[in-house]
This record gives sequence, C-alpha cells and structure tokens, in this order.
Amino acid sequence: MKPTHLLLTLTLALTITAVIWSCGTKEAPAPEDENELITTVRLTFTEAGTTTPQKFEWKDLDGDGGNAPTTSRITLKASRSYKVDVEFLDESKTPTDNITDEVREEGDEHLVVLTPTPSSLFTYTASDKDSRNFPIGLSGTVTTGSTNQGTLRVQLRHQPPVNGQPVKNGTVAPGSDDVNITFDVVVAP
Amino acid sequence: MKNSQRVVRLFIILFFIGLFDFNTVYAQNTANCDCFVKGVVKDRETNLPIVGAVLTIKNTSKVTTTDTEGHYKFDRLCQGSYVLECKIIGYKTTRTTIALQHSAEENLNLSEDEVHLQDVEIVARRVTSLTQPSGSLQNQSLEQTRGQTLAEALQKMVGVTMLQTGASIAKPVIHGLHSNRILIINNGIRQEGQQWGSEHAPEIDPFIAKRLTVVKGAAGVRYGSDAIGGVILVEPAELPYTIGSIRGELNTVGFTNGRTGVVSGTFEGGLKKWKGFGWRLQGTLKNGGNIRTPDYFLANTGVREQNFSAAVGYRSVKLGAEVFYSQFHTNLGIFSGSHIGSTSDLLSVIQNGEPFIKADFNRAIERPNQLVDHDLLKIKAYRQFSGNRLSLTLGRQHNQRAEYDLHGPQAALKPALLFRITTLTGDIVLEHKPMAKEITGQIGFSGLHQYNFTDGRPLIPDFEQSNAGAFVIERWIRQKWEWEAGLRYDMRWLQVYRFIGQTLDQRNHQFNSWSGTVGGVFNASSYLSVRANFGTGWRPPSVNELYSKGVHHGAAAYEEGNESLRPETAYNLMGNVEYTSERFRAEIGLYYNSIQNFIYLKPQSEPILTIRGAFPYFKYVQTNATFSGADVTTEWNITPRWEHTAKISYLRAYDQAANDYLVAIPANRIENGLRYKIGTVIHSHDSFVSIGHLWVDQQKRVPPNSDFMPPPSAYHLWSIQVGGDIILTEKQKITWGITGQNLFDTAYRDYLNRFRYYSLEQGRNFSMRLKWIF
Repeated sequence: MKPTHLLLTLTLALTITAVIWSCGTKEAPAPEDENELITTVRLTFTEAGTTTPQKFEWKDLDGDGGNAPTTSRITLKASRSYKVDVEFLDESKTPTDNITDEVREEGDEHLVVLTPTPSSLFTYTASDKDSRNFPIGLSGTVTTGSTNQGTLRVQLRHQPPVNGQPVKNGTVAPGSDDVNITFDVVVAP
Repeated sequence: MKNSQRVVRLFIILFFIGLFDFNTVYAQNTANCDCFVKGVVKDRETNLPIVGAVLTIKNTSKVTTTDTEGHYKFDRLCQGSYVLECKIIGYKTTRTTIALQHSAEENLNLSEDEVHLQDVEIVARRVTSLTQPSGSLQNQSLEQTRGQTLAEALQKMVGVTMLQTGASIAKPVIHGLHSNRILIINNGIRQEGQQWGSEHAPEIDPFIAKRLTVVKGAAGVRYGSDAIGGVILVEPAELPYTIGSIRGELNTVGFTNGRTGVVSGTFEGGLKKWKGFGWRLQGTLKNGGNIRTPDYFLANTGVREQNFSAAVGYRSVKLGAEVFYSQFHTNLGIFSGSHIGSTSDLLSVIQNGEPFIKADFNRAIERPNQLVDHDLLKIKAYRQFSGNRLSLTLGRQHNQRAEYDLHGPQAALKPALLFRITTLTGDIVLEHKPMAKEITGQIGFSGLHQYNFTDGRPLIPDFEQSNAGAFVIERWIRQKWEWEAGLRYDMRWLQVYRFIGQTLDQRNHQFNSWSGTVGGVFNASSYLSVRANFGTGWRPPSVNELYSKGVHHGAAAYEEGNESLRPETAYNLMGNVEYTSERFRAEIGLYYNSIQNFIYLKPQSEPILTIRGAFPYFKYVQTNATFSGADVTTEWNITPRWEHTAKISYLRAYDQAANDYLVAIPANRIENGLRYKIGTVIHSHDSFVSIGHLWVDQQKRVPPNSDFMPPPSAYHLWSIQVGGDIILTEKQKITWGITGQNLFDTAYRDYLNRFRYYSLEQGRNFSMRLKWIF
C-alpha cells in the first residue's frame, strides 16, 4: 500500500470512529433512589382508658449496611390492654415517606405479624381486615401477661398473588419478609 | 511445498457451502450402483480452480484429486449417503454429506480470501488456539442444541459447565471460572453487559452462530484483559457474497417442558448486479411457560425472547467492509418461590424441602422478572496490500437491564434496578506478510470506552471506563514444530461516581498490566500431536467488587466491595496430547491455572443487621487461588455404524492462602454417548439414534460451614436423540431431530444452580427440532 492510501484508510477509519463514538449522549450521574426502602418501624402503644401514646422505634436511617440500626426497648405494664398501631416509614426521604398507607391499601397482599417470645409475654389481636376478611395487622390490641421479659419480632409479610391467584391465608407462611426485626420487651408490674 | 507456502496456506481457511450445504443437486431415482458425483473445486475469491485437492469418500476406498481445471469425479457409486472429504495440504480438512440417488454435482468454493479473519473462530485457530486447547460446536452438534440458551449449548464441550439461576438463567463456566473472568466475543466484538452478575445471562441469540468455540485458559494477549478463564467465540457464517439468489432456513423447536416454542428464520443472498455484495436478515422468537420439575411446576419461570439481526457487506480481493446490527430482547420470569426477604425465609424453604409456592402451568410472566435489551452495531473494514492485511473493527453496544422486584405499586412502573451501559470498541489489526518465509503474525491496537448508569436500589455506582491496549503475536512453523509467542500491554482508567447521601464522591482508579503467551505444538506423527502453552492474563477488579454494597437477593447475603482491591493475575499452564487414528481419537488436556490476588467473597464473622433481619456478611477480599484439572475426550468408531464418545471433566480449586477449597466450583463429571448410524430409513438420510448418560459427582471439596445447605448429591441423567435429513428438492432439505432429556424424570439439584435451595432441577423434557433449508 502506498503511504497516501494508508493515510486515506486511517483518516476514513478515524472519521468512522468519531461518528460512532459521538452517537452516545451522556447524562450526569444521579444518586440512587431506592423504590421501597423502609428505614423505620414505629410501634405506638396506647393503654386502654388513657390517651397517652408510647412510641417505640427500630431505625436504620442509612439503609442496609453502614451504621448499625438503633432500637428502643418496649416497656409495658403487666396485665393491661393496649391499642397498638404499627407504622413503616422511609425517613431517608425528605419529607418522610410513610409506607404504612401503601401497606394498608394493599392489605390483600400484606400481613403484619407480631410474635412475642416467650409467647406468654402478651397476645396480639389484629383489628383491621382486608377485602377477603383476613387480618392486615397494622392495628390491633395487645393484652400483656404477668411480669416478664423477652423479645418481640415484627414481620411485614409480602404475600402477593402467584399467577393471579391470591396466596394470603391469614398465616405467616406464604410470601417473603419485607420487614423482620426484633425489639426487647419488658413487662413490668 | 515450500514452507512459506505452507504457512500461508495454513492460514487460509478452506470454507465452503456457506451457511447451508445445499449445493448438492439430486437427480431422479434409479436403484443401481452406477451413480456418480462430480464437481469443481474453486477458490471462492478469485474463482480460479484449485489444483491437487484430495477428495475421498469416507468409508470407501475411493480417492481422487482435482485436475488442472479443478475438476473431480467419482463414479460407480451405489445409492446412499456418503461423506465427501476435501483435503489440501495446509488447509483444514472439510467434509460434506451427499445423499446420492443417481448423480450429484458438488462444487466446492474454497475461500482463500481473509474475510474469515472476521470470523473470530479463525482468529482463534490462527492465533490463540494454536497452542491453547479449544473446542467448537458446529454443524450437527450445534444443530442439536438449537432452542437452548447459549450456556446450555456450550456445556456440550468438555471442561465447560454452567452457572444457573433457576431454570431460565444460565451462564457458561470454563474450568471453574465465569462471569467477568471469561470473555464472550460476539461476532468479533467483546460482549459488554453486566457480566459480573451471576444472574445475568449472556444477551446473545444462539441462532446467530454458525459455530461456537471455547478457548480454554488465559487468553489475554489476543482478547485483552479479563480473559483469564477463557474466551467464547460466537461466530456467524460469512455473508453469501457469491450467491446470486435468495436462500435461507427456518428453524422450529418445541419443548414439552415449559411448552416452549422457538422459531428462527434466516434470509440471505447476494446482489446479481453488484458483484461482491451480500446481505442477511435473521430473527428469532421464543415463548415458554412454567418449567416442571419431577414433582411440581416452578411458578413464574416463563420466557419471551425477540431477537433480530441484519448484515450487509462487500468483499473483493483487495478490500471489504461489513455492517452488522443486532437486537436482543428478553423478558425472563424469576421463579416466585425463590423470592426471600430474609435469612429466616431462606432457612424455612430449605427446611420445607420444596417451594411454598405451588403453581400450575402458566405462560404469564409476573414480577419478579428481568427485561433485558442488547443492541450491537458493528462496522468492519479491511484492506490487503502486498501480502499484508489491515483491518478495522468498530462496535457500539447498548445494554439495558431492568430488574423488577415483587414490591408495591411503584415497582409496577419502575424497576427496582435499572442498568444502562454503553460500550464503544475499536480494534485495528495488521497482519504482516511472512518474515524470513517462516514467521507470521499480527500487531494490533484496541480501545474501549464505556459508561454505566444504575438507577434504583443501591448496588453499584455509576461509572465510566476506558481501556487501551496494544499487542503483538508471532508464529513460527518449521516442519513438525509450531511455535507462538505474544505480548500485550493494557491500561484501564475507571471513574466511579459514587453518592454518599446526595453528595457526589468521584473516585478514580488506574490499572495497567502486561499479558503474555508462549506455546508450542509438536506434530510427532500424523496420529499424535502434543501441545503446551503458558499464558498470563490479568483482570482489573470490576465495579461491583470495588463498590457494591447491599443485600444480594436470592443469595441471602450482604455483599460489600473493597475499593483497595488490586488486579488479578493468572498464570496458566496447559498441556494437551491428541491421538487420532482411523477409528479412534483421544484428547487429554491438563491445566494448572494459578490466579494471584483472586477476588472472592469471604464470609465475615458478624452478620449484618437489616430491616429484614440478620444477613450473613461477605466482603470482597483477595487470595491466591489455583484451578487445576483435566479434560479427557475419546471418540471410538467401534464399527462403521456404532460410535462411542466419552468426556471427563475433573477440576480442583484451592485457596492457597486459607489452605482450603473454594466455594461454587463445578463438580466433576463423566459423560458417555453411544450412537448408531441407521443410514437411510424411508426418506430420512443420515439417520441416527443415540443415547447419552451424564454422571455429576457431589461437590465434596467445599470449605466447612460455607453454605446454608450441603452441596447436593451426585446425579445420573439419561438422554436420547434421533434425527436425520429429508431431501425435498434439489435445493430444499429438512433436518429433523427428537431429543429426550432427563428421560427418567430424575429429581436432582445441581451445586451450581443458585436456586438449589428452593427447588429441584427441570424434569423430563422432550423436544422436536425441524430445520427447513430453502
């Protein structure tokens, strides 16, 4: 090949390269935006006959990893009845994103399960129902037992339909955990 | 013949019958032994006859050579099916099947032009795989994999296994290495998607390929960084530059399991008025529903795929150019029963022994699912001058991967994870004319620029990276010895755009390294050849290894990157002995791959507490790992009709620093096949029936307490195949095949399936393949 031809070929090559390479229009990098982050689980206990709510929170504001979550100890009185409300929040957003409403709207595929250990700690009865008359568990009543201490596991079960068939049956088994956390509980006299 | 000519000829690939072998002309029936076959062997490029090519009809004593005008003729043949072999010194031997009824004309066009350089397989044959072991699937062996995924097809080759995520996602594994440790060269372009993810299957339509080749071991010199485990070459047939009319093929495949249907068609031709032009259009549709295990259906395991490609090219003796565009689109359902939110969900599925979610057959694809698109535009041009050849290849790829979670209303509109990666590649290669009449080789430069955006759940940050590399490979052939050596230098610049809260934190990395290869072949006799290769390659840490942070769903693990990771370097020693006689062929390959700074996920002592409970905590760390093993293949023609094949893969992977085994290494396996060639039955020629048996051992070499459950038990699988060719007219043929996999509906799990915790593998699966060539 003559030098001029080589030059010509290389010029052509570079032109094509430039054309192809400039096809991409680039955008600026943006921070991640997690769709359904839950940073906070808040339990509000209101003793029957009173109007003073007690709030207990489990928080992991920076999401999975990073700083360890913080949790408060639940202190209740023995042999009492409490109205309980469970809330799920995304406090990493401004303003805070309240996921609770979404869970309630999609009550047919969500179930909140409160499991005390030992089971004699208290009993929980959900008072809300979904469209198929299964509990949702976002609000209910806790009746404490005698003086004791233990743990409370709070699970938000996501139980979406499989192949169009509902799977929620009021039990914990179907679906998967959206939330699975544990509080320390003290039932004091 | 002079050495120089031999060298040149060795480089020229004898390639004929293009995409389809239907040049055969079939005449009327006459039951006698007075049939003949004749034809002309020509150089496809110059159209000049090739003199002195040796033609033989296999399993007969008939031999002839082409005369000064390239003509040959065999007569006094009986009706039946024959294999015509064409050999010429320095060329690759080729075979074609003729179904002879009276007379046939088999004109062979030999492609002397270097268009096949484009053909990545040939690059491999000429450069990388000369002293490095490789295997390829083509013709009948490739036909039998039609309708399967790329990884399923590739595991027909010894030493190649697959890493699965359920029934619908599979990635190839070469000698225990996968994902970003192997490269896939799709039609000459380095496939760039999100290879790091074990649940990210290659975005390639296998119907594009005329040949699939696997180059085993570190092949960094020719293909660049990352190829420390091996290279997979997906190569289409060359464009039909010399065909005046339109031709094509239509493939249909149906599977009983998943009730999957696949249709793939190709049209191609040349242009009568414009000599040297060729074009091709190709497309594939796939639709499958829920896969069934022996005991239950797997909910939401359907697949939809729509792919197409178009190519147009021009070729003359001096120069040529080709433009190729392909689009791959898939919607993959992810098994519903594999969705877990927490470690306790996973443990309860394992304890249950079968999925909690039961389903019937269904085609609907619901969440969780993956929507993946891959576009590739390639432009290639070359010019030949005074024995040299200069070629330029440019590629632009865009890969979009949307992963949808099971979650609420937002997720319906927005994927939980969206990756968009754009890659620009450019290669310039100069193949120089022989020096001192014995040394040939090439020098080349390659460049890559890539940018990635990730949206949704934090997993990997946005990044931009550039690569530049230069290489030289030289070969020296003298009598019984062939030597090759190569050297390469690569640089990579990586800019990571990480956000801490809402604040951008840009990190820059630069990596560079040498790669080298040296190898030799000793052709001791026409029966025996011995080859050895020593290669090095390197792989810079990928973005997920440097910066990933989060729960890996499905694996129930919290994985954390480490930004101080250094590149991996592989030192790969391989030896291969091949014995070929009339009726027996054996190939034994041994390998030892030592990878310094091998990056892996190391379990940490404390779990990570998240809103979904505690997850085992893994960090990316480095160690020195060795992968050693053997691949054995034998082929034995017991009688002209009976044939036995065996394949043995043995692999041992070890963490030298921890003095323990590595996790997720494929188990050892032995595969046996027995084939009976029936010949012509009714109208089906070349008919055969074969049975196969695969034994996969339990992986016993695992570190203690490294997994949620012990590796699954060993298993045996049986399969059966029947098939043949039906000749319709002189230009039309139907190739048919029926395959039964997992014949006895064996319930088993595989250690390299990430969904082994959740479900059994696929049950019995019959498939029917029809290929109509017109």
